[in-house]
Amino acid sequence: MRTTTRIAAVALGTATLIPFMGAGIAAAADGNTTATLRPVALNNVPASGTAMVEVSGTRIDVTMAASGLLADSPHAAHIHFADEARHECPRVSDDSNKDGQLNTTEGGPAYGDIVVSLTKTGDTSPKSGLAVDRFDTAPGGELKYQRGSINVSPDVAQAITNGESVVVIHGVDHNGNGKYDGDKKSDLDPNLPTEATDPAVCGVLRAAPAGGMDTGAGGTSDTTDEGMLLLGGGLLLAAAGTGTLTARKVRNRA
Amino acid sequence: MRLSRLAGDRRGILAAAVTAVLLLTGGALVFVAGRGPAAPPQPAPPQPAPAVAAPASPSTTSEAPPSPASPAPSGSSVPPADATSPQADFGPLLGPSDPVALRIPAIGVDTRGIVDLGLDRTGRLEAPKDFAKTGWYAGGPTPGEFGPAVIGGHVDSQSGPAVFYRLGALRKGDVAEVTRADKSVARFVIDRVARYSKADFPTATVYGNTTDRAELRLITCGGAFDQSTGHYVDNIVAFGHLVVR
Repeated sequence: MRTTTRIAAVALGTATLIPFMGAGIAAAADGNTTATLRPVALNNVPASGTAMVEVSGTRIDVTMAASGLLADSPHAAHIHFADEARHECPRVSDDSNKDGQLNTTEGGPAYGDIVVSLTKTGDTSPKSGLAVDRFDTAPGGELKYQRGSINVSPDVAQAITNGESVVVIHGVDHNGNGKYDGDKKSDLDPNLPTEATDPAVCGVLRAAPAGGMDTGAGGTSDTTDEGMLLLGGGLLLAAAGTGTLTARKVRNRA
Repeated sequence: MRLSRLAGDRRGILAAAVTAVLLLTGGALVFVAGRGPAAPPQPAPPQPAPAVAAPASPSTTSEAPPSPASPAPSGSSVPPADATSPQADFGPLLGPSDPVALRIPAIGVDTRGIVDLGLDRTGRLEAPKDFAKTGWYAGGPTPGEFGPAVIGGHVDSQSGPAVFYRLGALRKGDVAEVTRADKSVARFVIDRVARYSKADFPTATVYGNTTDRAELRLITCGGAFDQSTGHYVDNIVAFGHLVVR
């Protein structure tokens, strides 16, 4: 049953990739991915964390921890992806309006659009991208998030296993007064201050290593000493032979 | 004294001398071969890789297997959080800081200078070039951060034991301490040590999230050495989790 599903998923994944064939090898749709979340350039949030996404067909399970975020404030969190994006976290050069801060739109060329909203309850589609009442509020600055069985499109599942999607946690207290405020409005929603939606930490979801490690050259393996053992054993047998001869001589003399 | 008797004696002495030489040489060779660098300690033989969906540690086995008529509840074992549920407990966590030294007193590992490891063209984790050094998978979490941090090392070189020679002798409860660039020490307690065939490697178990904690994976080689490929056929993996000092 499971195998069938997986084969179907792989087949589906391959089918969606056919238009892009030549770009790379089709990867299986299942896989484990991890993103190490680091501060977004220019925004200077002293936060970090890890996001782990397990892909099973078109279903994903997400587990995420981050610390150092603005405490007790909603932190919108998403998986971003776009075909044309660079599949990375934004750089200083993405600050197109040169205001010394990176807002969500400016990060677009790096990580693409919202494809999954990592809400705690309810809808997880891009429509919930700013559903501030359903995101984790990082009590004490610690965000701990777990949600299983989020359904995504085959394209998004494939993008995640291909290492082309990016996890972003938003919410930056630029002026350091412990809350989202300020005159500058959000580029996503004019009813919110930009502090509430600017990207805080970011990480590319990368596929786990494939297979094991080659960590040995055989110098202590059992097989290498066989020759020596055989030679030694042979000599000992020969010794038994000459020894018998000697003993016979001694007996003959007596 | 007769001549023949004398000759016989000489032959006897010669034979005795040859016997002594053969005994000494043969014995020494067998001794060296047997003692040599002894084969590294091995945990239980490879277990079949668990299915990806199977829980990491099956609890009880008394329950009857689910019948086709009543399939096990589908979906993840992770219930969706709801607004009123307490936050998940991920255990102690540290901020990011690269590993610089590793100490595992139980097996005599005390190594400084951990190299960064990446993936090769086929997506496999590279091994350190230096047999005396361990390497950290720099694409994953740093040791002490949430998720599994991976440190690999060789079991042997072509001539003798390497840094993780005794990894297979680690036991549950042993301690591994990773010193990090920020001078903090991430202290891990070993939960289990397993041996897996490289041909059927449980990637999700070794590199994936299995326990929702800051974890450590220590990897070396095990099993038989395949002369034709120049590689061991198994990997030995020690699993540990972060504890508060």
